[in-house]
Amino acid sequence: MKQFLALLACVALAACTTTNVRKVNQAQNVAPITSTRGLLVQPDVNLYVLTAAGMQERREDWSRMAQTNLAEALKAELSSRTKTLRVLDPQVSMDGRVGQLIRLNSAVGASVAIFEYGPLKLPTKRGAFDWTLGDGAKLLGEAQGADYALFVSANGTYASAGRKALMVGAALFGVAVPLGQQQIFASVVDLHTGRLVWTNVATAGPSADIRSAEGARSLATSLLKDIPV
Amino acid sequence: MSWLRQSAAIAASIALLLNATGAAAQPAFRPANLKPNISSAEAGIWGASDKAEAAIRSSADLNRDVQLTAYVKGVLCRIAPEYCSEIRVYVLDRPFLNAGAWPNGAVEVNSGLLLRARTEDELSFVLGHEVTHFARNHSLRQHENEKATRNAMLALQIGVTLGAAAAMYSAASTGSPYASSTIDSISRSAQSLNNLIYLAGVASLFAYSRESESEADEFGFKRYHAAGYQAAAAPSIWHYVEDENAASDFDAVRRSQARASIYMTHPITGQRIAALSAMAGTDAKKDPSREEQLRYRAAIRPHLAAWLKDDLRRRDFGQTLFLLDRLSEPGEDLGVINFYRGEAFRLRRKDGDVEKAVAAYRVSVSYADAPPASYRELGEALRKIGDKPSAQEAFRTYLQKVPDAQDRWLIEASLKSLETGGLK
Repeated sequence: MKQFLALLACVALAACTTTNVRKVNQAQNVAPITSTRGLLVQPDVNLYVLTAAGMQERREDWSRMAQTNLAEALKAELSSRTKTLRVLDPQVSMDGRVGQLIRLNSAVGASVAIFEYGPLKLPTKRGAFDWTLGDGAKLLGEAQGADYALFVSANGTYASAGRKALMVGAALFGVAVPLGQQQIFASVVDLHTGRLVWTNVATAGPSADIRSAEGARSLATSLLKDIPV
Repeated sequence: MSWLRQSAAIAASIALLLNATGAAAQPAFRPANLKPNISSAEAGIWGASDKAEAAIRSSADLNRDVQLTAYVKGVLCRIAPEYCSEIRVYVLDRPFLNAGAWPNGAVEVNSGLLLRARTEDELSFVLGHEVTHFARNHSLRQHENEKATRNAMLALQIGVTLGAAAAMYSAASTGSPYASSTIDSISRSAQSLNNLIYLAGVASLFAYSRESESEADEFGFKRYHAAGYQAAAAPSIWHYVEDENAASDFDAVRRSQARASIYMTHPITGQRIAALSAMAGTDAKKDPSREEQLRYRAAIRPHLAAWLKDDLRRRDFGQTLFLLDRLSEPGEDLGVINFYRGEAFRLRRKDGDVEKAVAAYRVSVSYADAPPASYRELGEALRKIGDKPSAQEAFRTYLQKVPDAQDRWLIEASLKSLETGGLK
């Protein structure tokens, strides 16, 4: 009920961003990240137009703009918390072990998105949050001179004019037509152990449109509010 | 049955209507080196393709033989010189007869295709087909068609629903004692009509895909023929696909091309052969000359063994054996080919396969290009059928050929047990 009210308030205010954090709990005996040499992996962003019938059409210009905005906002947010911060472009680092770790992280991240945030739960996890890239992640830390890495990926849809018209028409008959949504997934990997120590999914409110610089800043602030670094 | 016929008629007219919505005037070939406008749907498709291409570049399947890639690229440039500078070729070690063109100009060519083409002509036809997908913007056109079709489907379904709602409302307001059953039947009709619209719409999307494939065959044919390649090669490679499918171990593969369905992305092979034979105006089953086959074989020879090993991993021995027969035709590489024929029998393990494997390994070792492993496997197969002296001889030859073999200790142990009679 509380959640429902919060949702309702969100819709009413049309302003807030909801976030949903998962992290390693203290009982699992994971040392906190002490030193703070950060590595920001350039966010992977895919934004789409939602056609009237609900098909998604990828927009390269929006995706690139949002990637630039988001990278800037995350950099600003992190540089106040870290001693050093390096930025890595995965598109130019796909070779060798570093590329393998980046791809492994995408695979693990996809599983976290399904099993920590989706309706499915892995019975073998028994509620533990113990996802890891393995201690091979050290290599990335050594290569980049970093203690932890922040990975971010964003997917979003925006309603086309036709979709909006359909929403208005359908609303007259009491049928709800979704107008699109932007979701951002972030994970922090401890590069000494390879463990995912913290993940967060933020669902953007209407004021946090990552296609604009302010929107991206507002979203980055909510997204990284509880980051353990 | 009349409701079925009626439904079919309705579905057919919906499909026609949807096709009319989706069909745009056929654009010409794309100009060379055209980059999409950054805010267009095409740019979105290209962006996604660029990410896929980055993944291909670091894929474990990527064949990094520069010479082989340059050879395939050279064939592509011969049939599509205007796109030569913007197309990137990736040979992938995947044992399936396939190739693909990404909308951004990246072209994937599977080793399974390179292994099955008999001549450069056959390869060039398939490349012509793929480059046509790129040249005619098929991905973008399919996307635009799907968008228009799905919107039209939605509009039709809204129309049906609103019409039904109005009819139900007026039925209810008559106050007739049969109003509720009338409303029921209106609701059921509207639901089944909406289902028909959905099925007809989806079927029309598949029909569009098949049309693109036929178009790629047609323009691919024109392209490779104009470049001087032999017309008969196009139907010929498809005949091979049919014959190899017929030789499969699996019933589902053998039957796969027998029946058309409205939910198929590609036309059935028989139709493609008929269309290509008509274009070629020739008896399709004409075999290329030995010289032509050997000229092409020289380009793929360094990978022959590795690709055959990959092919065995599909565990469709009927198909692999059929392929090996075809590869034997020009009469070269028989040491390698017969080794893998032996391997197919060894792995299949049907009754009598050990003897067949022995025969194949024996043929293999009679040629200079026999891999040393032929002697080892011959020894092993002979040991299985109880021919100890021949088995020992084969094992000893293996050790002579590869004195520092990693499995030397294993072979020595086998030899010892054959001498003492410990093993069967």
